[in-house]
Amino acid sequence: MRLQLDGVVKRFGPVRALDGASLDVRGGSLHAVLGENGAGKTTLMRVAFGLLQPDAGTVRLDGTPRRLASPADAIAAGVGMVHQHFTIVPAMTVAENVALGGRGRYDARAAAEVVRRVGAQTGLALDPAARAADLPVAAQQRLEIVKALARDARLLILDEPAAVLTPAEARELLTWLRRFVDGGATAVLITHKLRDALAFADDVTVLRRGRTVATSPAAATDEAALTAHLLGEAGVDTAAVDTAGVATAGVGRAHYAVATPAPSTPAVTTPAVSARGLSYVDARGVTRLRDATFEVRTGELLGVVGVEGSGQHELLRLLAGRLVPSGGALDLPARVAWIPEDRHRDALLLDGTLVENLALRGAGAHRGLLPWPRLARRARALVDRFDVRAGATGVRLPARALSGGNQQKFVVARELAGDADAAPPELVVAENPTRGLDVRATAAVLARLREARAAGAAVVFYSSDLDEVLALADRVLVVYDGRVRPTPAERDAVGRAMLGAA
Amino acid sequence: MTEALAAFLEATVRTATPLALAALGESVTERAGVINIGLEGAIMAGAFGALVGAGVAGGAAGAGLGFVVGALAGLAASALFALFAVGLRADQIITGTAVTLASLGLTGTLYRSIYGETGASLATPTTAPLAVPGLSALPVVGRALFAQPPATYALYLLVPALAWWTFRTHAGLALRAVGERPDAAAAAGIRPRRVQLAATLFGGALGGLAGATLVLAQAGTFAEGMSAGRGFIAIAVVVLGRWHPVGVAAAALLFGAASALQYLFQAMGWRLPYQLFLALPYLLTLVVLASVSARAAAPAALGKRDA
Repeated sequence: MRLQLDGVVKRFGPVRALDGASLDVRGGSLHAVLGENGAGKTTLMRVAFGLLQPDAGTVRLDGTPRRLASPADAIAAGVGMVHQHFTIVPAMTVAENVALGGRGRYDARAAAEVVRRVGAQTGLALDPAARAADLPVAAQQRLEIVKALARDARLLILDEPAAVLTPAEARELLTWLRRFVDGGATAVLITHKLRDALAFADDVTVLRRGRTVATSPAAATDEAALTAHLLGEAGVDTAAVDTAGVATAGVGRAHYAVATPAPSTPAVTTPAVSARGLSYVDARGVTRLRDATFEVRTGELLGVVGVEGSGQHELLRLLAGRLVPSGGALDLPARVAWIPEDRHRDALLLDGTLVENLALRGAGAHRGLLPWPRLARRARALVDRFDVRAGATGVRLPARALSGGNQQKFVVARELAGDADAAPPELVVAENPTRGLDVRATAAVLARLREARAAGAAVVFYSSDLDEVLALADRVLVVYDGRVRPTPAERDAVGRAMLGAA
Repeated sequence: MTEALAAFLEATVRTATPLALAALGESVTERAGVINIGLEGAIMAGAFGALVGAGVAGGAAGAGLGFVVGALAGLAASALFALFAVGLRADQIITGTAVTLASLGLTGTLYRSIYGETGASLATPTTAPLAVPGLSALPVVGRALFAQPPATYALYLLVPALAWWTFRTHAGLALRAVGERPDAAAAAGIRPRRVQLAATLFGGALGGLAGATLVLAQAGTFAEGMSAGRGFIAIAVVVLGRWHPVGVAAAALLFGAASALQYLFQAMGWRLPYQLFLALPYLLTLVVLASVSARAAAPAALGKRDA
């Protein structure tokens, strides 16, 4: 099914999220939409799915202009969407989630049959009786896709589907998507990853600041050209400055591996963190971490890797002081910065202003009144220094109004330099800090971590992107099945250790 | 002894009936993620509506009209709540409290202005208990289950119908999804606010029926504030019944039993201050709300504004 969006304008208050964006998705093609955070990719797709009404512009399906007043209209027209933030009901079963939105009698057996049928046709197998909340993330994503396909979607829109997946799962998903399109369907893939777009898509469109700046067959373009479009003329300069030291400015994170980052050898090597026989047992009695012994030294960047569920999240939370060890000894410095993976859940009050979010740092540590004017000045200073694009209303803006990349930059700013009175943190714990960020925001966040190391902090850095860890870390610690193992910072060795091989 | 037990069970079912009606309605409302503290107000409105409706016609037709007007009055009270809490996204707790207070005040004022200070409404037609031949002669439970006013029999149909509707229709599925994840429901093409509005109105109508039952099947008259906190107890009943129609009905029976204990104790000749018995359902409410782990079963988006 062909999807054409022409001259789409969408305003949110004074902000023009879309400023005349266009997109032409040929029937039977896989079309990648690229853009930085805040370029308008998601907004454009929400228009195509009837979740948002455009202020101007047209939506055409197979050439016919359509007014999609709601997702129900879009679904009826054969459009399905897999959202970046999942739209499944955790308390319901797979079958119930798939049946949601239907009419008349609900027959659990028939619904289960639909799940099995779609699974058999597409290879996306799911247990119809499983509770959605109990599914691993990759299966929840399959459920999102099955939901759309069960309602006969002929055009599938996927918003950043790889963001929540491990690299292997992401590859599997994209391979599936390619086959799905080769079978006659049409799909739109929103992504940050140039390589994925070039490797899997037929056509590529680049959005910047709400406008379509380039569109071409994937075969007729390359990473350099796309990067130039993504960042714009001024953007390339900024990125080059931001990523000074990271060898390949702005060309996508996969490239870090190619470069030799040459981590500075730390001069002073007193241990900032020392763990001996550290273990952690969770509330359900499952041992997540066992007998971990290691040190992190000042001025050192320790990379942590592990396949999902190996215990790395527990390890990071222990180091951040967010979990209490079940056994062993753990010496932590007094000032710890914590950049959690899920910034919406663990780092920000989305409805709070930036000033209020800044005040959260160390909240409760000081007795008495909050010095709001001083906090506001401090927030403005941080926003300037860390290049958080907060728009005209600045620090009085709720955190929700910022794009994901700017939210993360703000979290990093707060954690690394938020408390004007105290010295900088002695330990920085960062958990997947670049998740869901675009090239430029990723480079900015990584540059800050390197700065913190240069300033003498011990930095513990986990990323699900192995190349990112290898590019940045002085040493690598692999977590597998609750055990930590120091591993040489080489791709092969780390890759094998992640899978538990000797 | 058997006789005392039979009387106790009969009183249990009788007092449980309005509670069950109100709580079933509220459970549907809460399934949609809306907590209607204004239920107490809907019960009061229903009671007063029943009085007015029954007075218009008189006799059996009057009682029937009373139930209809009672349900409509409860629906109107919850429509006021829905206007602010669902339509305008005002805080549910504050809106519900306001609706309850307004309803208590309004029904009291209207009652005095229509029926005078003395309250000349003792001639309200009531629905007498309707004994089912044969079944009502069963030992111990016969009269409790099968010699009750029609409102109780309506529950026998309502509970299974509601259970079927909640779990065996797409509308029920949509209701549950809205209470859990409104954004997910919206993405599936459901309109969360419409579902919430309908669920709130349904809950209010059942609350109105509960009030009508108090007037037409139990007290036989109206008194200011006669709902006596049943709306709040019904909310506790919903929690104890884990939002499931059958569970809610069972929980209502438990609360009915707590109220009916006084009859049993009197029959047994045990002398305790009657205030203690009157307080029992309220104490039970506190215990339930404080202790029941049922909160884990609560709709995830219950009471949240940003649906």
